Amino acid sequence: MGNYTVGLVGAGGIANSHLPAWLALGVDVVVFSIDGAAPALVERHGGGRVVESYEELLAASDAVDICTPTFTHRDLVIEAAEAGKNIVCEKPLALSEADTAEMIEACDRAGVQLYPAHVVRYFPEYVAMHDAIADGGIGTLAVQRFLRAGSAPAAPWFSQKELSGGLVMDQMIHDLDFARWNAGEVTQVYATESPSLREDGAPEPLTAQVILTHESGTVSYVTGVWSRRPIAFQTRFEVAGDAGLLQHDSLGNPPIAFNGSTDEVSGYQPTTRFSESPYLTEIREFHQAFLGGPTPRVDAADGLAAVALAAAALKSIETSAPVTMATNR
Amino acid sequence: MKAEPMKIAVMSFAHTHAASYVRLLAGMPGIELRASDPDHGDRPAGESGGASLAAELGVDYVDSYEELLAWQPDAVVVCSENTKHRDDVLLAAAAGAHVLCEKPLATTSEDAEAMVQACEDAGVNLMVAFPVRFSPAFLALKEQYDRGLLGNIYGVSGTNNGKIPGERAWFTDPALAGGGALTDHVVHIADMLDALFGGAPATRVYATANDFFGGDPRVETGGLVSITYENGVSAVIDCSWSRPASYPVWGGLTLHLVTDAGLVDVNPFAQRVDGFSQSAKNALWLGYGTNSDELMLTEFLSAIREGRRPQPDGQLGCRTVRLVEAAYRSVDTGGVVETTRDSARA
Repeated sequence: MGNYTVGLVGAGGIANSHLPAWLALGVDVVVFSIDGAAPALVERHGGGRVVESYEELLAASDAVDICTPTFTHRDLVIEAAEAGKNIVCEKPLALSEADTAEMIEACDRAGVQLYPAHVVRYFPEYVAMHDAIADGGIGTLAVQRFLRAGSAPAAPWFSQKELSGGLVMDQMIHDLDFARWNAGEVTQVYATESPSLREDGAPEPLTAQVILTHESGTVSYVTGVWSRRPIAFQTRFEVAGDAGLLQHDSLGNPPIAFNGSTDEVSGYQPTTRFSESPYLTEIREFHQAFLGGPTPRVDAADGLAAVALAAAALKSIETSAPVTMATNR
Repeated sequence: MKAEPMKIAVMSFAHTHAASYVRLLAGMPGIELRASDPDHGDRPAGESGGASLAAELGVDYVDSYEELLAWQPDAVVVCSENTKHRDDVLLAAAAGAHVLCEKPLATTSEDAEAMVQACEDAGVNLMVAFPVRFSPAFLALKEQYDRGLLGNIYGVSGTNNGKIPGERAWFTDPALAGGGALTDHVVHIADMLDALFGGAPATRVYATANDFFGGDPRVETGGLVSITYENGVSAVIDCSWSRPASYPVWGGLTLHLVTDAGLVDVNPFAQRVDGFSQSAKNALWLGYGTNSDELMLTEFLSAIREGRRPQPDGQLGCRTVRLVEAAYRSVDTGGVVETTRDSARA
């Protein structure tokens, strides 16, 4: 028996965060991407071996990590499940609840594990907040606010809602998932998005706002921004309970700051300095589960619930009315 | 030109802002000030008010509104409990006095409209006490937006979060306050957006609320309100009384805007010295800078002297009251409330 091998599918933005994590864990990685970007990815991170087809990748792997555009997730996951592989899949799991449910069913049938890469659950500031709430540090959770703002992603598929789900499904799903992790199941979703600017081909909407009412009575507000003017990636949260509140701004309290340095970091992915990469924390937890370790903090059912929340928000935007969630989960 | 002293009457010390207004007005030249707080005896023992608070503030005091208005004031500042605003404003208007009414203007649009009508009929100004729109931070935002430097605005997130108003019990009594956090903390931001968008009417309102803050309150204490305006912009307002009792200050107000120029944060209360106090065993926030209450009072008085209508006026007050009404209707029905152009402009 050789070393544990993961098949990394896709060589775009998120693969650049996942590949170094697998390499740091001492796992062998084979990479396949249809866009020819795999050799550069492997070279950039100094590890991994490029293969020429998905079949070859599956044949060489113990598990697969799907880092491709969202609209391809469904077929790739089902094929991997049928090949008996445990699976990490980038969020969102799929563009619809139906597709996501089908993927989960295929994994259950094959007896393989499927984990969605909702990485915000691994960011240390979010973990500190979640743990404090769970420990009763702010009493009964009443009101949550989340902001996630970055430059509009450059890859063209993001700008097509039918391929990416748009801002709500692709980006805001992080905070929708987190809001639910803190406050539990959601009974009602209301959402708005900024008017269409489609003629210039920029990803849209530029901003959206989602309000959740949870079964517990807690209310949550999630804002997302895909800015057309380049901005530094920024997240914020404030969670308030009847015995206190917690706040964080990713641009606040920098551990090192330069007055006189002019280059501002721009982008659509967060950076966490001076702590372990949350992608590594995440991938390690999934890897351990594949090896028989404990169940990760996020599972496929959470991934499905997150897709359902994002889909409800999109329906709310379309109908200009709140959407009531099924509460039989 | 002879500068006649202006006679200003303060009706009620029910709202804690009354003390701030009295102190500021007392320090302004050419003002004679008199106050009455006849309902003080109805409020819980220990709450400041009445003749003793007047003495503490150094303002002349009379026992009844009748006596106060017989003094023939040029203007009245109404600081009574929310549901008493209508009666008090109508009394002031009938006495021929210009009116500055504490926010919210009223707790129903019917009351608000009656107040506007009464002041129109009497030929007096009706202004609503929304001081935050006078803050330099908001004025700077408005100036940049009006000059086109921000391009379009696509979305707004507003927060007006405070402690449960513990100094005055009436704030959590539905009969006197008309409601809780939705009543108290939606209107400031609604006013600022009205000013920013040039009175663009709201078309849709959705709201959700809970009562987790403050033990066992009789009113909602947490809430989120979404307002979509005719210009396509949607705003979400967090109006929650979410600041714990030990918070270093009363609370705060912020705006976050998504624009063509990027993201804009507006925090009129950001200017402060941070510290810690061993005796208070708490953080110290020492705010500094312009006093928006003073700028608002100056506008109220200047408009009277110059014979013009001040902003924010009663019509605007009505628009904000209608938004709050729509928010309650949304909470009650769980649905979206369409606010028609006509009713938004009436």
